[in-house]
Amino acid sequence: MTSALAGVTGAAAEPASREGRRPRRSRRATPRNTLTKGAALGLGVTMVWFSILVLIPLAAIVATASENGWSQYVATLQNPQTWAAIKLTVGQALLVTVINIVMGTVIAWVLVRDRFPGKAILDVIIDVPFALPTIVAGLVLLALYGPNSPIGVHWANTERAVFLALAFVTLPFIVRTVQPVLEELESDVEEAAASLGASRTTIIRRIVLPSLTPAIAAGAALSFARAISEYGSLVLLSGNLPFRTEVVSVRVLSFIENGNTASAAALATIMLAVALLVIVVLDIVQRRVSRRG
Amino acid sequence: MSIDVSGVTKTFGDFVALDDVSVSLPTGQLTALLGPSGGGKSTLLRVIAGLETADTGRVTIEGVDATRLPPQKRNVGFVFQHYAVFKHMTVAKNVAFGLEIRKRPKAEIAARVDELLRLVHLSQFSHRLPSQLSGGQRQRMALARALAVEPKVLLLDEPFGALDAKVRKELRDWLRRLHDEVHVTTVFVTHDQEEAMEVADEIVVINDGRVEQVGTPDQLYDEPANDFVMSFLGEVTTLGGVLLRPHDVHISTTPQLAGAAEGTVSRVLRVGFEVRVNVLTDDGEDVLLVLTRTHARQLGIEPGVRVWVTPASGALTVPSMKAAVG
Repeated sequence: MTSALAGVTGAAAEPASREGRRPRRSRRATPRNTLTKGAALGLGVTMVWFSILVLIPLAAIVATASENGWSQYVATLQNPQTWAAIKLTVGQALLVTVINIVMGTVIAWVLVRDRFPGKAILDVIIDVPFALPTIVAGLVLLALYGPNSPIGVHWANTERAVFLALAFVTLPFIVRTVQPVLEELESDVEEAAASLGASRTTIIRRIVLPSLTPAIAAGAALSFARAISEYGSLVLLSGNLPFRTEVVSVRVLSFIENGNTASAAALATIMLAVALLVIVVLDIVQRRVSRRG
Repeated sequence: MSIDVSGVTKTFGDFVALDDVSVSLPTGQLTALLGPSGGGKSTLLRVIAGLETADTGRVTIEGVDATRLPPQKRNVGFVFQHYAVFKHMTVAKNVAFGLEIRKRPKAEIAARVDELLRLVHLSQFSHRLPSQLSGGQRQRMALARALAVEPKVLLLDEPFGALDAKVRKELRDWLRRLHDEVHVTTVFVTHDQEEAMEVADEIVVINDGRVEQVGTPDQLYDEPANDFVMSFLGEVTTLGGVLLRPHDVHISTTPQLAGAAEGTVSRVLRVGFEVRVNVLTDDGEDVLLVLTRTHARQLGIEPGVRVWVTPASGALTVPSMKAAVG
């Protein structure tokens, strides 16, 4: 599972950086097979490193899962407990990602465009959920929303616990991808739109958001990938109840603990497919929206 | 009068960008706001466009009090120094933007965009993205975009400032010709006096947040109101306590004219057909003068030669109030 995730995050980061520059141009400007010696060495090192870390482990997982052919996947998916775990994980990850798209963009906007006391502190604190060891994040959440909640919110052992933990750890992703793009956005572009008669909402919808979509999509991909892989921050609060609050990573771990490596590998491969699907869909949506204008 | 600005003051913190500025810009003309950087000319343009609000004073556009109107309601076209293109839209979409948000019929928009792109010579680029255009092309696109909504006035903020010298000169001529075709009241900001003199019908010289002088290029050059205008519109030198143009200094190697100052040639610099000579007079003034190559040769001007300098007859002189600027 870990190796699968390394692949996921890598794939998620890549379209973002490519989109940041102009893809149409760079594609045309780069002729094929004109590698200098240094570039060839660089490419070689990159491929070796990437293979050792990502490609070979990924291939191994897929190979292990495929030892018994399709039947292994079918059997894994037909297990109701596993199916419940997949539904919960993917469902909550999608929900959290949608919420992050809205909240992350709003937070980035506030951090870039508004001036208020404590802004610098907020800007630093945004990274805390990301920097915190996940098990510590779990403890923090347990302290506030657990059985001994000081504010009387008892969300432990419920689906909400999963949602909360995922939202907590994925908060910074979209903020941090959108923020620099928003900072680079020149105010004269918005002024030009205003002098052409565009209202504030029209400017945001037709000028600002299309410029932000590549960044939002990249952040959403990172946020989704992180959410389907999350383990540490939710094990304490969610209680890992089968059919109710058990997520895929917990399920994979219990498969392995029971010596059922084939099922663990099959489940890992399924999650890999889900991650790839979501990343591709996000990329397509992003291309559509940013070309809408 | 197309644009009336009266008593406008604008401050940014302690900095006074505009200090009680009043100016009237006539309809259908091409006016330049000329002045040094940080003098307030861009602020004045942005106040007219509604992109900045004046602290005090009034702005009237075509007889309508626009002081409190937001930029959306002023019906002005604005062109920015750095183009301000909508990066994710094609050239045609950029130009169509103002018409689309006015919900004009599709066919009408297409026809108008087509016409404007032809006007700015970008027809063949209509489906490109702005990133695939050169700086000059981008600025022409920005101009077409501003003209699309048929603005009452067209405002250009240092429109050629980010372009290289050659493209700049081309676009300058082109803007003049475009204005003669379209006849929309146009105001452009520049710090380049040559650009202003070449393109504008009328020039407003702005310095330190104040209007120094308003007039045609010839009026400004021939009758500068003060030493600032004189020195900003071209090179000046000081001789006998007055400011004058370096090419208006008469030089001879013998004492011919009464009152001529005696001095020694300290430096000779040749630039093409032009020879620039520095003369250190015995009174301690460093006088700069410009001669043609031929004239300098006839006189035998070279460093160390004793010469007599005096304002040429008919030369324009302005009393030197302070150290020459620029």
